[in-house]
Amino acid sequence: MRKFFLFILVVLGGFSFGQSTFPTNGMKESSSLYAILGANVVTRFDAEAKQVDLLVQDGEILAIGSNLKVPDHAVRVQADGKYIYPGFIDLLSSYGLKETSRSKWDPFPQYESETPGAFAWNECLKPEYRAAEDFEVSKNQAEGLRKKGFTAVLAHREDGLARGSGVFLGLNSTNPHTAIIKPKASGHLSFFKGSSRQAYPSSLMGMMALLKQTYLDAEWYAAGGYEEETNLSLEAWNELKALPTFFKAGDYLSSLRAAKLGNEFNQSYVFYGSGDEYKRLKSIKATGAAFVLPLNFPAVYDVEDPRMAEFVPLSDMKHWELAPANPAFFEKEGIPFALTADGSDDFWGNLRKALEHGLSEKMALKALTYNPARFLNLTEDFGSLNRGKKAHFIITSSPIFESDMVIMENWSNGERMVFHHEPPIDLRGNFDLSFNGINNQLEITGSLSNPKASLWLDSTQIKGQIKVIDRSVQFSFYHDSLLAGTWRFSGHVFQDHWAGSAVGPDGVWKEFEAKRTAEFQDSEEDEAKESATRELGEIWYPLKAYGQVEIPEEGNLIFRNATLWTNEETGILEGYDLAISKGKIIGLGKNLDARATFKGRGGKVQEIDASGLHLTSGIIDEHSHIAISRGVNESGQNSSAEVSIADVINPDDINIYRQLSGGVTAAQLLHGSANPIGGQSAIIKLRWGMDAEDFKIDGADGFIKFALGENVKQTNWGDFQTVRYPQTRMGVEQAFYDYFWRARAYEKEKETALRDKKPFRKDLEMEVLLEILNRERFISCHSYVQSEINMLMHVADSMGFTLNTFTHILEGYKVAEKMAEHGAGGSTFSDWWAYKYEVNDAIPYNAALMHQAGVVVAINSDDAEMARRLNQEAGKGVKYGGMSKEEAWKMVTLNPAKLLHLDNRMGSLKIGKDADLVLWSKEPLSIDAVALQTYVDGRLLYSKSDSDNRNKEIQAERARLIQAMLDAKAGGERVQKPKPVHKHLYHCDDLEE
Amino acid sequence: MKKHILFLALFGFSSALWAQTPAQEQEKRVILYGGIAHLGNGTLLDHSVIIFEEGKITAVADARTVRLDTNGAEYHDITGKHVYPGFILPNTSLGLAEIDAVRATRDYNEVGSYTPNVRGIIAYNTESKITATVRTNGILMAQICPRGGVLPGRSSLVDLDGWNWEDAAYLMDEGQQLYWPSMVTWQWGEGWVTNEDYQTDIEELKAFFKKAKAYTQMKNPKQKDLRYEALRGIFSGKEALYIHANFASDIEQSVLFAKDLGVKRIVVVGGKEAHRVTDFLVKHEIPLILSRLHSLPYHEDDPVDLPYKLPKILYDAGVLFCLDYQGDMERMGSRNLPFLAGTARAYGIPEEEAVKLITSNPAKIFGISDLVGTLEPGKDASIVVSEGDALDMASNRIVLAFIRGKKLELTNHQMELYEKYKGKIEEGK
Repeated sequence: MRKFFLFILVVLGGFSFGQSTFPTNGMKESSSLYAILGANVVTRFDAEAKQVDLLVQDGEILAIGSNLKVPDHAVRVQADGKYIYPGFIDLLSSYGLKETSRSKWDPFPQYESETPGAFAWNECLKPEYRAAEDFEVSKNQAEGLRKKGFTAVLAHREDGLARGSGVFLGLNSTNPHTAIIKPKASGHLSFFKGSSRQAYPSSLMGMMALLKQTYLDAEWYAAGGYEEETNLSLEAWNELKALPTFFKAGDYLSSLRAAKLGNEFNQSYVFYGSGDEYKRLKSIKATGAAFVLPLNFPAVYDVEDPRMAEFVPLSDMKHWELAPANPAFFEKEGIPFALTADGSDDFWGNLRKALEHGLSEKMALKALTYNPARFLNLTEDFGSLNRGKKAHFIITSSPIFESDMVIMENWSNGERMVFHHEPPIDLRGNFDLSFNGINNQLEITGSLSNPKASLWLDSTQIKGQIKVIDRSVQFSFYHDSLLAGTWRFSGHVFQDHWAGSAVGPDGVWKEFEAKRTAEFQDSEEDEAKESATRELGEIWYPLKAYGQVEIPEEGNLIFRNATLWTNEETGILEGYDLAISKGKIIGLGKNLDARATFKGRGGKVQEIDASGLHLTSGIIDEHSHIAISRGVNESGQNSSAEVSIADVINPDDINIYRQLSGGVTAAQLLHGSANPIGGQSAIIKLRWGMDAEDFKIDGADGFIKFALGENVKQTNWGDFQTVRYPQTRMGVEQAFYDYFWRARAYEKEKETALRDKKPFRKDLEMEVLLEILNRERFISCHSYVQSEINMLMHVADSMGFTLNTFTHILEGYKVAEKMAEHGAGGSTFSDWWAYKYEVNDAIPYNAALMHQAGVVVAINSDDAEMARRLNQEAGKGVKYGGMSKEEAWKMVTLNPAKLLHLDNRMGSLKIGKDADLVLWSKEPLSIDAVALQTYVDGRLLYSKSDSDNRNKEIQAERARLIQAMLDAKAGGERVQKPKPVHKHLYHCDDLEE
Repeated sequence: MKKHILFLALFGFSSALWAQTPAQEQEKRVILYGGIAHLGNGTLLDHSVIIFEEGKITAVADARTVRLDTNGAEYHDITGKHVYPGFILPNTSLGLAEIDAVRATRDYNEVGSYTPNVRGIIAYNTESKITATVRTNGILMAQICPRGGVLPGRSSLVDLDGWNWEDAAYLMDEGQQLYWPSMVTWQWGEGWVTNEDYQTDIEELKAFFKKAKAYTQMKNPKQKDLRYEALRGIFSGKEALYIHANFASDIEQSVLFAKDLGVKRIVVVGGKEAHRVTDFLVKHEIPLILSRLHSLPYHEDDPVDLPYKLPKILYDAGVLFCLDYQGDMERMGSRNLPFLAGTARAYGIPEEEAVKLITSNPAKIFGISDLVGTLEPGKDASIVVSEGDALDMASNRIVLAFIRGKKLELTNHQMELYEKYKGKIEEGK
C-alpha cells in the first residue's frame, strides 16, 4: 500500500513576534490580521454563534460577531458552513521532553542517592525538575497532536514520585520561547518510582510513606528548617504546593489512596485516571477530586479458541465491555473530568466509542476544552473563544462529533496550520466507469477522508487505490488477466461524474468517465449505533467473579438446634440456639423465644435449621498477606516502621472470597519479613464487596511487624545483597537498640521543640517506634530460632515494653517458659519446616508445647491457600501433641483474637460479641468439615449453595461476553490475545512489588 | 549436677529410638487382630485379622470367622484401630533435597533442559530426616523424581526404608518424566506471564523425540547418545512416560503426541484442568496423577472449591487417578498426603474409594498392583495401623507400620525434639 502524503501548510497566521530578543535574519515578517468569515463558532462547550466572523491578530482573538467591520488589510478566510471550536487541551503529555535514561544495571543494591547537589535524600523526589527548562519543540509530535485537534498541552516528565513542575505549551513550531505559555503551570506527583535505582521505596506503601514524610519535611523546612540545612528539593516542593497538582496513582484504588494522603496534608489533586474508576465511582466521587481520563480502552480478547478463552477472567471481560463507558459514568455521577489522548492509539475512534457508550457531546467537548483550562486555572485565556482569549482554535468541516467531520485548520499560539483548504469531496458511492471501451462498476467506500476503491469486473472485485486533492482525483487498479496489468486514472470531479484520462499497461492514454449511479450508504455507522444500544452488564462489587451488586444486610437471624463451639467456659453446647441482630450476637440458649429475643429490633427474623451442624465464631488469621496491593515488603531499609499495610489494602482480591469459603472472617495483614523493623499491619474483617477503608476494624489496636533471622540478614537474597546492615543475628540485636534509643532521643527533642516553640521535623518512623516504647503499638515478630527469640524479649524488657506476639516462632517450644514469663504469645504454623536452615528444628508439636507452657498460641497461614483450611491446621494440634479439640479450635479463633487484642468483641460465641460466624457441616476440626455459611458482622458473605449458584451466573455472564467479543472481532475491532497471567500470591519473604 | 543427669537420660533415650535405623527382616509370622481394615480395593472389614509371613500377606479375613493359631507369632491386638495398605506418594523429590534454601542439599535439577539419562535414584538419600517424618503419617512408598527442564530424568519407586538406595529401590528407573512446555512461565519482577516461546518450545520437544525415536531403531549405534538411549524404555513399554501437563489443551496435545510416537504407557501428571478432559482421558485410557488438591483454583472464575471437588468429578467420569503432593514445600509437606484423600472424601468420594487414591490406584498406575496397594493375600506386607481414621489429621496417629514385613521404628527427628523439650517443660512446671 503506497502512502499518500498530505501536504500541510503552516503559516504564521495573525501572529508576529512583536517584540523579541531574537535578531532577524532576512526580512522582518509583519503582523497579519486574519478575518475568518461566516463560520459557526462554538464559543464555549455550551454556546454557539451561527454564521459569525472572527478576527485574530497577534495570537489573540480581537472580536467575534456578525456584521463586524473587517478592515481592508485583513487576510480573509471564507469559512461558510464550517465550524470553529476552542482548541483541545491535553493535560497529560510529555511533548517535547526527553526521557530519563536509566542508569546501568548493577547487581549491588544502592541505598543512598547518587544525585549530586543539595537535593532530596531520595532519588525518587525530583520536585526541583522543571519541564520548561527541558522543553524543545518537536514538529512531528506537535503536528500529530494538532491533527487530532489539540492546540495546547500540559507537559511534564513522568519520572519519580515527585516529578517537578509541568509546562503549559502551545503547539506552534517556531521555538520554545514562543511555545511556552506558562513555564511553571503545575506540580506532579505519582506512585511510580521511575528511573531511580535507590532501594527505597520498593513498595507502594513505601512510596506513600515517603510522600507523607516529604510533606512533613517541607513544612518543617518552611518553618525554619532552612536554617539547619539547605535543601533545594524541599524549597521547590514548597513552591509547587500552590500550583494545581496532578497525581498519577496507577489504578482507581491507588487514586483513592492518594486522595486520602492528600487530605492529610490539605492538598487536593487532579488525578490522571486509569479508566477503571467506574468500578467504585461512589468512592471516587467522595474524594471531590477532578480526573483526567484516558481513552485507551482494552482491545477485544480473541476468544475464538474456547480453550484459550478460559484464560480470560470475567473481570477482564467485564472491563472490556464497561471501560468505554467510564467517561459516561463520570458525567452521570457529576464528577468533573478532562480527557487525554495519552495512551490511546486511536484518539478519535475511542472518543466516538465513549460517545456511543453514553457520553454526551457537550460533556466531551467540555472535557477537551473548558475543563482542562479550568483545572489549570487558565479559563481566562483558554478553553473558550471570546474577545481577548488566546487564538487557540480549530476549524472543522462539520459539527465536531459528526462521523465525516474533518479538521481543516488548527490555530495554536496564533500559528495557523492548514490541513484542508476545502472540505474533502465525498467521492463515495457507486459509479459506472467506462474506459478503454469497457463499462464496469466502480464502488467507493471507506471514510470521507480515507476512501477505498473497488472495481467490479463481472463478479470479480479488484481493490485499488484512490485519493483526492481538492477537485482532482487519482486512482489505479491492477489485475493480471482481467486488466492485463495496471490501469491508472487521473481526472476531475464534477457534479455527478468524474472525467479524465487513463493509461493502461501499454502506455497509451485514453479518456475515461465515471457516472454516479448511487449515493453512499454508511452501514458502519448503523452498526455502531446498534452496538451502543446493546445493554451493558451490571457492575459487580468488586468487578469480578463472585462480586455482587448489593452487599447483604445485617440480618436478624436465629440458628436453631446447633452444636455451638462457644470458646467460653460453657464449652461445646449441643442442641442450642443462637440469635444475631445488627451484626452482634444477641441471644444464646436452648429453645430461644424468637419474639422475646428480637423484641424492639424490627425487621424480619430468619430461622435457620442448624440441626446436626456446628456453629463457631469466625476464624481469625493472625498472619496473612492477601488483599495487598503492590508489595508486601518495604525492603529498601532495615527499618520501615513508617510504612503501613493499611495504606494498601486491596479489597478486590479474589482470595478474600476464597477465604470466606474456608470460614475466615478476620485477619491481620502483615508486612513481610525483609527487615528487622517492618511496617504497620492492617487488621481487617473480610468484608467482601466493600471498600478498602471499610475492611479496617474500627478501634483495633495498632500492630507492627518485626522480623529476625535469615530474611532480615538477607541470607537467601543472592550473593550481592551483602551491604545492608545487619548481616548477622548479632547485628539484628544492635539494630533494634539503636533504633529504640534514637526514638527516645527524638522524643526528648520533640518535647524541647514543643516547649520552646521551635520548628520541629515530625518523623513518621520515630513516631511509630515511640508508640511501641509507650505501649501504644504492638509487635508481631517473625522469628525462628531460640537465640533470637530470647534476644528480642531482652530488648523489650530492657526498653520497658512487652513483645506481643512471636509469629512463625518455630523454635518457640525451646523457650516456651521464657515466653510465658515475658507474656509473649506465639502464632505458628502447624507443620511447616525444612525450607530454610533456620527451620531445621521446627516441629509440629510446637503449638502443643507452647500451649502446655502457658503461652497463648495461634495457628496462622502466611499462605493464601492454607488460610482456607485453617480449621484442618488447628486439627493438627490434636494429632501432634494431643491437644483437646476445644483448645485446638481456639488456636484459630479466640487465641488470635487475644493476640490481636480483639477478644473483647471476637473469637467466641457470647452475647454482645460480633456476629462473625461459621456454620460447618461437621465438627470443624475434622477433615470432613465444610463451611456452609460464613457471616461477617451478621452479613452472610459466603454461602456454599449460593456460591454454586453464583458460579452458574458467572458462566452465563462469560457466555454473554464471549459472544459480544466474537461479534466485536468479526466487526473488525482491534484484537488482543488471551493472557494466561497467574496472580502472584504474597508470602512474607516476597520482595517483589 | 542436674544438667548431667538430664544429659545422660537423654543420651540413653535417643540411642534407643534412633530415628533412621532401617528395620530388620521379618522373622516371625505377624498377626494384626481386630483392626478396622481398609483393604484398598474398596472393601472395609470392621473387625479384621491380617496375617503375614516372610514379607507377604498370607491371610486377610473377618476376625469373627477364623480360628487363630498365635503360636510363635508376633501378635498385635489392634481392635478399634484402622489398618491400611501403606500409602504411596507419587511424583516427589523426597530424598533429593533436604533444606530448600541450602543449595548444597539440593540434588534434583541437573544442567540442561533435556537430561532423560539422569537417574533420580542415584541421589536418593535414605538418611533424609524428612523421610522419617513422612513415614510416621503412613506413607511407605514413593516415586522419586528428578525435577527441572523438559526431560529431567528417570524416576524410581522406593520403599521409605533402607540402608542405601539399592536397598530402598522397589522399581528402579521405572519411567521418564516429561514436562510439557507450559503456556505460562515465571519471570522475575513480572510473576507468571504468557510464555512467548510456547510454540518454539513444543517444536523443539517434538524434534527431540523424533530424533530419539529414529535413534532407538538402531540396535548398536556407533556413537552412543546417552540421552536417546535412556528413552528406549518408553518405546518398548518397559518404562512409563509421565507427562506433566495442567491445561486441557496441553493434556490433549501431549497425549496424542506421545501416542503417535508409539509410547506404550502414558500417565498424565498435574491436571488442574482435568475436569475439562475427562472424556478424553477415559477414551484413551490415560491414568492421571492429580497434583496437590490443597491448591487454590487456577482461574479466578473457577468455583472456589474446584480443586477439592476435582477428585469427585474424575471419579464420577471413571478416570483412573491417584494423588500427589508436588509443588511448594513438597517434601516436608508430603506427610499430608492422607489428608488430601480425606479432602476428596469430604467433597464427595466414597470413603473406601478415597483410600484407593493413595493405595491401589497409584499401584495400578505404576504397574505394580500385583505386588502392593491392597491388603490381600500374596501382596507385600506393607501395612500401616493408625489409632484412628488416618485420612483425618485429627485422628491420624500411626502406631504400627511394616514394609514387606519389616517393622519400622516410628520415630523421627521431630519426635525426639518433642520428647526432649516436653520433658523440659514438664520439669519446669
